[in-house]
Amino acid sequence: MRALRSTAVVAGILAALTLSGCSGAGNNTSEHATINFMAADPQKTYQPVIDGFEKANPNITVKFTYVPFDQYNNVVSQRIGGKDAGVDVYVADTGTVGELATKGYLKDLSSLKPQAEKSSLSAAVKANEYDGKLWALPMWTSQQYLFYNKDLLTKAGIPFPSSDPDKRMTYEDLLADAKKAKAAGATWGMILDQIDRYYQLQPLAESAGGGSGATGKDLLTADVTNAGWTKAMDWYSELFSSGVAPRGDGAQQMVDVFAGGKAAFMISGPWQITTNAQARPPVNFGIAPNPLFEGGKATMATGSWNIGINPASQHQDAATSFIKYVSMNQQGNTKSTQVSGITPTNLKSFNAWIAKEDAIDAPSTSGVGALTLEELKTAAVNRPNSPGFEQLQDVLDRAFSDIRNGQEVDTTLKNAQSELQSDWDQLK
Amino acid sequence: MRVLPSIQAVGDSFFRKPITATSEHFVGLQNYVTLFTDPRFIGVLGVTGLFLVIIIPVQVVAAVGLGLLLNEAFPGASGARVFVYLPVAAPGAVAAIIWGIAFQQQGPFNAVLGALHLPQQPFLSSPDQALLCIVVLMSWIGVGYWTLFVIAGLQDVPVQQYEAATLDGAGWWRTLFSVTLPNLRRPLVFVIVANTVANVLAFVPISILTRGGPAGSTRLIMYDIYDRTFTLGNPNLGLAEVVVLLIFLIAVTSLQFRLLGREDS
Repeated sequence: MRALRSTAVVAGILAALTLSGCSGAGNNTSEHATINFMAADPQKTYQPVIDGFEKANPNITVKFTYVPFDQYNNVVSQRIGGKDAGVDVYVADTGTVGELATKGYLKDLSSLKPQAEKSSLSAAVKANEYDGKLWALPMWTSQQYLFYNKDLLTKAGIPFPSSDPDKRMTYEDLLADAKKAKAAGATWGMILDQIDRYYQLQPLAESAGGGSGATGKDLLTADVTNAGWTKAMDWYSELFSSGVAPRGDGAQQMVDVFAGGKAAFMISGPWQITTNAQARPPVNFGIAPNPLFEGGKATMATGSWNIGINPASQHQDAATSFIKYVSMNQQGNTKSTQVSGITPTNLKSFNAWIAKEDAIDAPSTSGVGALTLEELKTAAVNRPNSPGFEQLQDVLDRAFSDIRNGQEVDTTLKNAQSELQSDWDQLK
Repeated sequence: MRVLPSIQAVGDSFFRKPITATSEHFVGLQNYVTLFTDPRFIGVLGVTGLFLVIIIPVQVVAAVGLGLLLNEAFPGASGARVFVYLPVAAPGAVAAIIWGIAFQQQGPFNAVLGALHLPQQPFLSSPDQALLCIVVLMSWIGVGYWTLFVIAGLQDVPVQQYEAATLDGAGWWRTLFSVTLPNLRRPLVFVIVANTVANVLAFVPISILTRGGPAGSTRLIMYDIYDRTFTLGNPNLGLAEVVVLLIFLIAVTSLQFRLLGREDS
């Protein structure tokens, strides 16, 4: 792989030299450029798309920097906020785009909007709009499913949940079944993928009618103590106080807990399917739609990483070529999801991905493509594009973690509410 | 080199920049008023104070104890010294990750407790235990370093004083308090002052293991400054906190020097 890349680079340099020789001075596009790309997934995730891009654009080299998720937003504040031209292209999480745009951390990409609307899922494009402008291009999106371990459910005498979105389970029944499964010998009854993060828990509050936590015209008014949030967090708290889900372990360990056959139920994303399919010994699993609260609405976490340009970049043209390749080019967008198994947002890549999803680990995955389409249409809830999203995420993630560790729900939410509002008021 | 940023920090702590504004505006002491009326910051001061009150005596006593032990001539003494110093050489992040695994719910510590039929402990996920876990971890890293200064000090104690003490019939404790410790005053001044500064600046284990939780129980001031500045996007308030920290450090170090200096005379 490395040898191939070096050959490609050498060929690229030679081509660039030849071209500049032919076209004469002044043609900047043929000069060799190196762009720096920063993202929150390891290099191996992005290597296929980087290789594909460098092959198609021999005069551009892409250097990659990996920053783990927990540090990512802070590093963006420090580097992009510090006008560091050492980053040309970086990924922006759904929900953070409004904030990054407000702070001037993203280049305005409105001129690419018509093209983006043609090439990509419209909801994914919309998630990158703020203040009437387009700030990043969609790259990936996500959905959540209720995974269940057939062997553990059978052992506990629990019927499998229905795969019909109209007959989805309630969170109340799910908790009861999870307790039964645990009592019948499952290590854990029920786990969540990003077990104490806003992405995963916002849909719980939304299903109970509590909203996203950010209200008001400018989405800078905190609202996390209402009945919906309290109901959702009481349920979440019981998950841990009843011993159905583990305390202490981090979000990054959950995928392997289910794939290792140690949990009866799990709410997780498409990446879970890939991990389950590779599990040895294999895990006998089924997929059902996300649950909802009794009398509440169907909600599902969605959105993922988008790709944008640092306004301080010295290589705007090369950077634009790269983000267009990753987002709008079918081949590029598909390559970007090749390793992680996450959902691409380019329409053609998305359709191909849906068509293949059923076959990843049949029969466990049969019908999941249709379920995905239905859920994206009816249940998907995006994170709020508040200019204070980072504060929302930081304060609430800490509150989730505290509730998980046994702190009282009402007091924790009350403290989070006043802390968040005070953080937001200081920024107004 | 360090004075300029400090002056800049003081200056910038009088400004404020709303999220949608392009430039800062002068707000006088407003940031300080905000800080001292913010229950979270009061909590941070409390936690940092409690942390120092526990960790400084623990580390100093452990360093003196280990110093006395390792200063004795016994087979393998130099090997034991290396062993005690070794954790200091491990990068803080690596040490934090190793201890993080050890403290996990189903980690080795709970496995040992289980084998001894003792109740399982929540460690880092309990507001009552997390800070103590951080004290243990930071002491494991730090004690070896402070021990070196104690050993160096012990080797400077004149042998004649020990001989005189023996002739006077002084026992081990009497010798410790009348000869050893008084002679250790100078290295101990350094150890206590430097130890206070090092522990006030504790950051890595908090950032990696607890992020200030659970329920703010490990929210030490350095982590709070980082979180407020970068995650919560309020650098001016973060700088006001830096100024409070600087004043505290200057006050503590001058107080310690004065107290120990007085004893000296």
